[in-house]
Amino acid sequence: MQGSPASRLARDLAAWLVVLVFVFPLFWWVLASVKPYTAIFAQPPVYVDFEATAENYAVTIGGQSRITLEGGVGGQTGGASSYYSLPSIRDSVIVALGSTALALVLATLASFGLSRFAMRGKDHVVFFVLAQRMLPPIAVAIPLFFIFRDLGLRDSHLGLILAHTLINLPLAVLLLKSFFDDVPVELDESAMLDGATRFQVFRMVVLPLVKGGLAATAVLCFIFSWTEFLISLLLTTSIRTIPVKITTFVTSTGTEWGLITALGSAALVPSFIFILLVQKHLVRGLTLGSLKS
Amino acid sequence: MVSTAARGRAPLLPRWLTADHPLPWLAPMFAMILAFGIYPLAYSIWLSLHQRNRFTRVDEFSGLANWVQAFGDQRFIDSLLVTVQYTLTCLVFQVVLGIAIALLLDCERRGYGLLRALMTLPLVVPPAVTGLMFLLMQDGQFGVLSYYLKLIGLVSPEAPILANPRTALWGVMAADIWQWTPFMVLILLAGLRALPKEPYEAAAIDGAGFLQCLWHLTLPMLSRVIAVAVLIRTIDLFRIYDYVYAMTAGGPGTATETLSFYAGRVFGVANFNYAATLSLIMLIVLNVACFTFLKLARVRF
Repeated sequence: MQGSPASRLARDLAAWLVVLVFVFPLFWWVLASVKPYTAIFAQPPVYVDFEATAENYAVTIGGQSRITLEGGVGGQTGGASSYYSLPSIRDSVIVALGSTALALVLATLASFGLSRFAMRGKDHVVFFVLAQRMLPPIAVAIPLFFIFRDLGLRDSHLGLILAHTLINLPLAVLLLKSFFDDVPVELDESAMLDGATRFQVFRMVVLPLVKGGLAATAVLCFIFSWTEFLISLLLTTSIRTIPVKITTFVTSTGTEWGLITALGSAALVPSFIFILLVQKHLVRGLTLGSLKS
Repeated sequence: MVSTAARGRAPLLPRWLTADHPLPWLAPMFAMILAFGIYPLAYSIWLSLHQRNRFTRVDEFSGLANWVQAFGDQRFIDSLLVTVQYTLTCLVFQVVLGIAIALLLDCERRGYGLLRALMTLPLVVPPAVTGLMFLLMQDGQFGVLSYYLKLIGLVSPEAPILANPRTALWGVMAADIWQWTPFMVLILLAGLRALPKEPYEAAAIDGAGFLQCLWHLTLPMLSRVIAVAVLIRTIDLFRIYDYVYAMTAGGPGTATETLSFYAGRVFGVANFNYAATLSLIMLIVLNVACFTFLKLARVRF
């Protein structure tokens, strides 16, 4: 569609307007994190007319006490037990990395098997894996709460890693299978004629060819674990991943919007970097390998 | 088997334990799903067939009592209706907006690549953070969204969006629509890219307009792509929890209480058996709906 200059301009304007509407909540969120306390609550809303401050980051990530900061962050004290969130960031990183690694190992093996072997009922296996994607988190969390209590895994990094791995498996398996399917089987066959074993074919022929797919799968698993909420909320009490930690800042005695937006903005950084790195495979990932871009 | 035969010695292991059989490749995954997927499911079923004796604190077999209770539980029925309303409304908005925005951004000119990349950002915001984002913007006193809506008279100052039973669900759905419309846009953009050019050239010769092309060519050719996107969105919409938790906690009253949230609340007051029953009902409804859809739309993975 290459219309007149006027219609092209209209389209550009419409496109920018739509995207600005979608970016605005993010902009407003990050802006609030550097606003002084009073500017957040100002009416009408304040866009540029305030003195930027890093206090909110100093408290949530730097661990500074709000009282020692000159003037304090807020006029009132919220009821959350602690605003220092570096331990939460650490918990989130451990859980996300652990569950990504575990899901990737299990899924790489399984999807190679599903991609390379003719077997009876393969469709049923794929269906079965897909069905795991339909488990509502609440239906996973309730029984795991008791099972983990009996196993001593409740409120542990390992427990959360296992739960997130389970939720990530369908995505990882189906997505990697689609990447393996892209590699022609003739490659395997010729390598095996040359005397390679099946495992050597897997490790030295096929795996190097799906590196990009592995990276994309890893990123999506990491982001899922990084953003997951309900399971972390129900299965842990002292370990607090960032999404759970941040909701504890909302209390009945006052909501610390400056601190919430600071931690919330910090939590966006890894996700944004990663998502921009895997733009190419994003659609395939979001559709569990069923659509390719 | 070629290599062992070539080396001329007998295989050490039966074939189904070697890398030439799919079993060893699939076994670790199945072990994981059995231990942390199937066993918990069986545990849930067991829980749903028992009731905890309040005094002895022992689970006692109660048959289908929990299941019968659910179907007479008005609050459960209400939460089911809220969930269905939430799912269908968001789905309509996300599909329609998704198609419109995808068509708008499907352009090779300079700058559009950047716009498409910016559209993907909402996808990776933790949903709990998205909820808080919209809570901040919709605050009745200082919310930026409330401020402008009040200015044009869409929201009255006495009834903040999230405190009004009539508008609260819309407030929550706004967060969902913001976060997941880009999902539709992205998938549909990929679908648009893969369309053949020839039918459009033929249509142009026949003098077809933009809307005719959209209705008779684009949408029918995109139907499979739309089906996949709708399926995945439905799964996630139906089990919505995070936004509700962050924004309204199910309130005011039970105006925004979804199935997941109700089940979570029942769990929170230590009625574990009933909570397990509710989560199983959710699971069944969702699976029946999805597999019916898979069959009807012929989606393959």
